[in-house]
Amino acid sequence: MATELLGFEIGATSAWLVWILPFAAALIIPGIAKLSKYGTGHLSKHATGYIAVGFALMSTLSAASLIPIALEAGEIHHQIPWIESLNLNAGVLADPLSIIMSNVVGWISFLILIYSTGYMKGDKDITRFWFWMMFFIGSMQLIVMSDNLLQVFFGWEGVGLASYALISFWYRDKKKDHVGTEGRTVLGMLDYYSPTHAGMKAFIMTKVGDVMMIAGMLLIFVYAGTFGFKELLGDTEWAVTMASQGLLVPAFVLIFGGAVGKSAQFPLNEWLLEAMTGPTAVSALIHAATMVKAGVFLVARIGPLVFALGAAGILADQFFEIIAWVGAITALLLATQAMVNPEIKKVLAYSTGSQIGYMMMALGVAGLSYQYVDGYTAGFFHLISHAMFKASLFMAAGAILHTVGSRFMTDMGGLRKKMKKTYAFMWAAGLGLMGAPFITTGFWSKDAIFAAVYESGNEWAMPLFAIAVFTAAITSFYTVRMMGLVFFGKQSKHIEKMEEEGHHIHEAPLSMWIPYGILAVLTIGVGLVGLSFEDGLHHTFVDYLENSYGIHTEHLAIESSILPEFLQGLNPVALGSSLAAFAIGAGLGYIFYIGRWVDPVKFVNSNLFFYGIHKLLLNRWYLNAIIYWCFVVTPLWLSRGVFRYFEKTAIDYGMNDGFQKAVGWSAKVVQGTQTGVSQSYLFVFGAGLLFVVLILLI
Amino acid sequence: MEYALLQAIFLPLLLSPVVYIIGRKAGPTPAMWVTFAILLYATILIVNAALSGTVEEHYPWTTQFGEFGFLLDGLASPFAIMIYVLSTILVLYSKPYMLHIFHHQFEEERNINTSGSGQTSIVESSALSNYVNAKSGLYFALYLLFAVGMLGTVLATNLIEFFVFFEIMLIPGFFLVALWGAGNRRKIGLMFLFWTHSGAVVLLLGFLMIGLTVGSFDFADINESEIPQDIAMLSAVAIALGLGVKLAVFMFHIWLPYVHGAAPTPISALLSPAMIGIGVYGIFRLIVEFLPATFADLSIWFYIWGLVTMIYGGAMALMQDDLKRLLAYSSISQMGYLLFGIGTISVLGLTGAEMMYVTHAIGKGILFMMAGVIIVKVGTRSISKLGGLAGKMPITAVCAVIGALTIMGIPPTAGFMGEWILFAGALETALEEGSTLRAVGFGLGLVATVLTMSYLLWMLKRVFFGKTPEHLENVKEGSWYMVAPMMVLAGFSIVLGIYPDIFYKSIIPYMSGVLGV
Repeated sequence: MATELLGFEIGATSAWLVWILPFAAALIIPGIAKLSKYGTGHLSKHATGYIAVGFALMSTLSAASLIPIALEAGEIHHQIPWIESLNLNAGVLADPLSIIMSNVVGWISFLILIYSTGYMKGDKDITRFWFWMMFFIGSMQLIVMSDNLLQVFFGWEGVGLASYALISFWYRDKKKDHVGTEGRTVLGMLDYYSPTHAGMKAFIMTKVGDVMMIAGMLLIFVYAGTFGFKELLGDTEWAVTMASQGLLVPAFVLIFGGAVGKSAQFPLNEWLLEAMTGPTAVSALIHAATMVKAGVFLVARIGPLVFALGAAGILADQFFEIIAWVGAITALLLATQAMVNPEIKKVLAYSTGSQIGYMMMALGVAGLSYQYVDGYTAGFFHLISHAMFKASLFMAAGAILHTVGSRFMTDMGGLRKKMKKTYAFMWAAGLGLMGAPFITTGFWSKDAIFAAVYESGNEWAMPLFAIAVFTAAITSFYTVRMMGLVFFGKQSKHIEKMEEEGHHIHEAPLSMWIPYGILAVLTIGVGLVGLSFEDGLHHTFVDYLENSYGIHTEHLAIESSILPEFLQGLNPVALGSSLAAFAIGAGLGYIFYIGRWVDPVKFVNSNLFFYGIHKLLLNRWYLNAIIYWCFVVTPLWLSRGVFRYFEKTAIDYGMNDGFQKAVGWSAKVVQGTQTGVSQSYLFVFGAGLLFVVLILLI
Repeated sequence: MEYALLQAIFLPLLLSPVVYIIGRKAGPTPAMWVTFAILLYATILIVNAALSGTVEEHYPWTTQFGEFGFLLDGLASPFAIMIYVLSTILVLYSKPYMLHIFHHQFEEERNINTSGSGQTSIVESSALSNYVNAKSGLYFALYLLFAVGMLGTVLATNLIEFFVFFEIMLIPGFFLVALWGAGNRRKIGLMFLFWTHSGAVVLLLGFLMIGLTVGSFDFADINESEIPQDIAMLSAVAIALGLGVKLAVFMFHIWLPYVHGAAPTPISALLSPAMIGIGVYGIFRLIVEFLPATFADLSIWFYIWGLVTMIYGGAMALMQDDLKRLLAYSSISQMGYLLFGIGTISVLGLTGAEMMYVTHAIGKGILFMMAGVIIVKVGTRSISKLGGLAGKMPITAVCAVIGALTIMGIPPTAGFMGEWILFAGALETALEEGSTLRAVGFGLGLVATVLTMSYLLWMLKRVFFGKTPEHLENVKEGSWYMVAPMMVLAGFSIVLGIYPDIFYKSIIPYMSGVLGV
């Protein structure tokens, strides 16, 4: 049912507006800020904020207006000429994938912007904040709506740029805006980062991924002569040639490298932690709607293409294996570190990386299994549910930071009576992250991933499944730990001191708790109908993959199993493991941090093994320090050596001063011959004459 | 329009003494506006001519050398446009910056000459204004000559004509550095003269070899004639080495950090992006176009040399504390990209190399202007003494970030449109030839982009972000004369980044023609 549109119709216009409107807002915001200085009223004081929220809403409504097309698995593909000398077009491709994604991005961003009006109130650089937020959202929507890789790359780098600007938003590097523990070192590397350092780190690290991505894109471009997704699918001659030269898988793996950088997957994961120096609204945006989700989206965008090529006999299994394993490793690696970190935002950051790992694992496993759509749906469903609960968690955490004025969970404690709404909403969203059975979206999406991995029938299915389940237990544990440290137990000294000084610990203002409240309620609300939601998504994707990529899905009869009526169709093993993981993780968390029956500090110090593990995790598996040693310290050391011992000596001294000296010296030599003594001149003349005569004679 | 190119070259040349007199009699501001008007008119002529496609003009010259002509084709027009656009807007920038220098030098000279003797303040101020008038007249006159030299080189249609203009840009360049440079300016000016002139002599050898073999110095004749392989190789190597000095590629680069660091900033902003890139123009015109067979043999060496230069320049830029020296090393690195692009010997790569000339002109122009604003407003160029200036000079900071992004090649700035096509070309050739060396070069080239990004972001961090040192509390934004030119370039960078066809349209057909694709 693919519909090619020639002119601008309503649908095509909305598809363009989805990404153009946020950019338009970004462009006019500085002007509005200048103008509003002349006004005095409430409206002019908050003009930039209203513009941002208003444009974000319009963009999101444009995205929403496309939903009917997604539901009937149609698509809008509209192009305009761009770089005519290379026959490249710009265009939008609104298919079910991009329409659903743009709605997720749009609505979550919209709520985060509302939250920001409260969170950023009174900041004197508010114009810059709104500019970059809108730029960020626009870039993300550009990635989602683009119909070709080059245009995606524009959005891709735009996202990187916006993250750079927003992570180092508080560029004056005040002490309170740093992350990490002051003075703490790991292998000689400071574990304490200023906002400007963090922004730079994020930009450069993701650029490493981007460089891989552009290499992959160019590989495909050289063979196919196009960047367009539809064009690539239309004529697969290029893929046959590339596969015969063994370059097809490398090209796609390189593109996946871009996703690894942007989605903070292993081994380019370390920037994500320092990204916490930005305002919390930014963290929420990065983690829930834009930036890290871009990588997952890219894999969801090119995955079916690769799978369709595979169905046509051009096998690219390694591509999916790499994705699945990178996802699995990241999920485990980052989840383990979340168990020990003392900073609330960092715990959430680790958790994001880990959950993105799940999504990658699902999208990778999809390509390795018989039914592509199962893993695909599972990964994307998890993306949606994660967007809801993680945005909510971040915003709630921001509200707490705002009130307490410290990023350390040890400075919180006992807040459940002071911030009742936040407490309730955070539990709801937190249960989503833990995958609390039957009532949260997180449960259904995670279960779908477990089932997809378990049923994939691939040689790696069991180890991947084991990692997934183990990580789920860890996830429950660290979520409960976070809740326990923040809301339970006694008030910390920090809070007591604040209250003594007359600061009142209070609930967040309306504009802040409404957004995260909505998302927390949605986490539970959608969770209650999670199974039918998943079915709907599954149906849409079955049609989408069939129509757009020719990937056929067999309708398997549901075997009746031992499960009760309302759970029919689920995989019993996956379900059982999911329940067990939840119970074990949450139980352990309860023992240590809510019931406080065992003191975790004493427990860790009780024997060397736990102490070692704790230290390893707290030191981030030493990965960050190793990366700094290899890619910062060593190159700088080498450059310094070359500068000092080659540039300054061989080149500078040798060439400049050496030449100068040589000229001076030869001048002296010539000068020396001019003795002014006639005899010596005569002597030299005579000798010369003799020499010439001798030569002539011989 | 008839005589458009002739006017664009000779009007500034002939009016340069007039500007000197205006400056002397009426002061810096009229001199600036007259210079600006002349260059603006010339720029409009050039842009207008470029819009109507290829333009050629021929005028009789001596029988010995051949014709005196101008050619504005797909290759020359982006160079010509960028040279004159930069020259024009930098006129405005020059005034406040050069006044700063003149005042400074006046103080110095007075301290030497009149220490102890008492003078009244009226005499002093009239002495100062006389001094400034004379100097600004001279400055703008030399400035015009410098611009003419650059443009003439790019438009020349004859080897001797090319060489004459090539030397014309050197002489005013020398005086501009030696008179108003920073630090040990006379020595550095001489260094500039010595290095580039030695390069020029080698270049001349190459020219003579070609000219005497063909029997004519006209480009048209050279293009048609068959040059014996060994002579072609020898002259190509001579030309490459001669232009290599101008380009400041690795091993011939040592003059550049000194000169670009010391030159008065508007001149650095012209030298660095516009002038040294003319070396690339020369390689395009003289080697790629006229000696294609030799070029095919040499291309791999350009490729490697370019790669080494880009990594070396980037690594050295990491080590600099002097803002302008950092930018100078960055220019070396960027010239490496250009040479790398030429070495790809593919339409996309060559297009990328020329596009990078344009984007580098924009980006580096902005960054040098940023350095100048800081020199005038803060009074230091040592990065370690700077910090947190973004809040003090927001417009400069925004422009500097756009300039840096242009050099890094991040969309939507123009830099990306040079970079991706350059690397696409590199990859294409590597795959076509099945050459591992070229494939590795492609990979290392991409790594070099990360290096570029690192030193620029680190510079931005140390200059504009972080804590503000106490002595910078009262720093103000630069004047509009200084800020507006940066904004123009920054805007142009974004327009070009979104719609690169402005230059692709003229470059790609030319490159396809030259490579016979």
